[in-house]
Amino acid sequence: MATLNDALATLDTLPALPTTSIQLVGMLASGGREADLREIEAIIRHDESIAATVLKLANSAAFSSPGRTFSLGESVRRLGSRTLCRIALETQVSGTLANAGRSYGLRRGSLSQCAAGGALAADTLARRHRIDPELCFVAALLRDIGKLAIDALAGPEALEQIAAQADARPFLAYEREAFGADHAELGGILCERWGLPSEICGAVRGHHEPPSHPASAVTDIVHAADCVARWAGLGLGCDGLLYVFDSAARERLHTTRDELEALVADVLSASTPQATRDLHSLRSTA
Amino acid sequence: MSRSPSLPFKNDPPRAGEIDRGAARDKVVVGVADLAVVRDATKSIVTYALGSCIGVTVYDPVAKVGGMLHFMLPESTVNAEKALANPAMFADIGVPLLFQKVIEAGARRERLIVCAAGGAEVLADDGHFRIGSRNRTILRKIFWKQNLLLAADDTGGQHSRTLTLRLADGVINIRAQGKETQLWPH
Repeated sequence: MATLNDALATLDTLPALPTTSIQLVGMLASGGREADLREIEAIIRHDESIAATVLKLANSAAFSSPGRTFSLGESVRRLGSRTLCRIALETQVSGTLANAGRSYGLRRGSLSQCAAGGALAADTLARRHRIDPELCFVAALLRDIGKLAIDALAGPEALEQIAAQADARPFLAYEREAFGADHAELGGILCERWGLPSEICGAVRGHHEPPSHPASAVTDIVHAADCVARWAGLGLGCDGLLYVFDSAARERLHTTRDELEALVADVLSASTPQATRDLHSLRSTA
Repeated sequence: MSRSPSLPFKNDPPRAGEIDRGAARDKVVVGVADLAVVRDATKSIVTYALGSCIGVTVYDPVAKVGGMLHFMLPESTVNAEKALANPAMFADIGVPLLFQKVIEAGARRERLIVCAAGGAEVLADDGHFRIGSRNRTILRKIFWKQNLLLAADDTGGQHSRTLTLRLADGVINIRAQGKETQLWPH
């Protein structure tokens, strides 16, 4: 059994989020005040996977400027800074999470899909409930980043053995018993160490157990989005559905069954790779 | 503290509908909100990560034709556009489609062995959502209307399941909580 200190020591051994990702989070969280197209273009130029996605989107029907473009600069102009930030950040976080979740029995890429699906759900819910969509999008994208730490702490099949004996308690309780901290808390600490805005750190930390005193609308949205992603079958490992949908958060959001079920259908298409995604969801953010 | 830096990943998942040739036996993978019908006794059909979703299998032991549906939600009225684009997403239109496709492939309705797995629930759902149990309920209603019986099912709880149908003999296995069990034959 590991202690909290072991868990915290593990955080030091994890690969850091790319510096450019942290810059992108800052640009999104500032509502565009700190966004600089030239900086974004420079980030994109250094990442082939982002550049390819940007070119493809800029030439899609969703961004209906006439004629094809093979220029990154023209693509940047067509898509706009917010969409570019999102594409770049999502691609980078997807890369960071691609190999995460193995201790939960997840296949390669599953956690990236879950992050993208949850981010779309959070963005949609935030717009409906008039809460900052950029903060909700980023926090939902990063919400399971703490699973990187659990991967480093857990021995082979440790979580499967825990799940095999689990009763009807939340999976976070088993993580705390085994590792001294759960993945949500470790994710929140990682975000703090990376200097991300406090609303994002709080939402990552509370995405399974949203606090009531004081409540955070961003955390409530990310919590609901996480449940939506689980209902869509995204990121389901040996922890399954051993998580609670907090009734107080649901009441604060005034969210309904129909609203969330419609989102369950939507997030499935969002969980496919960015380059092949249905572009309608991006169009609304352009 | 134990570490597992070299813990191997499971194989990359094949895309829905693709054949996983790396497995011991060829597998046709059914994705989320997807269905497949196969008439090839050398193959298996598999679906991963059944949470609140339900996997339905149908199998004709004479024709060796089988099918599997992985539906997400009970009723298509929640999203008409998605229902049109992908009927396999919803039980009310996906289940009839599965039966239609498997009969078109040579199965006989009266010989079909029907099984189901999934329909798990998040903890402490206070009745507001209960997607898993509503998926289970609508499946029972559909089978009642169609005068069909479930040969076996493994539904409810909180865990995620992997469901496999082997077309050579109709054996259905479920992997959940680190254990593999045979659902059919009993």
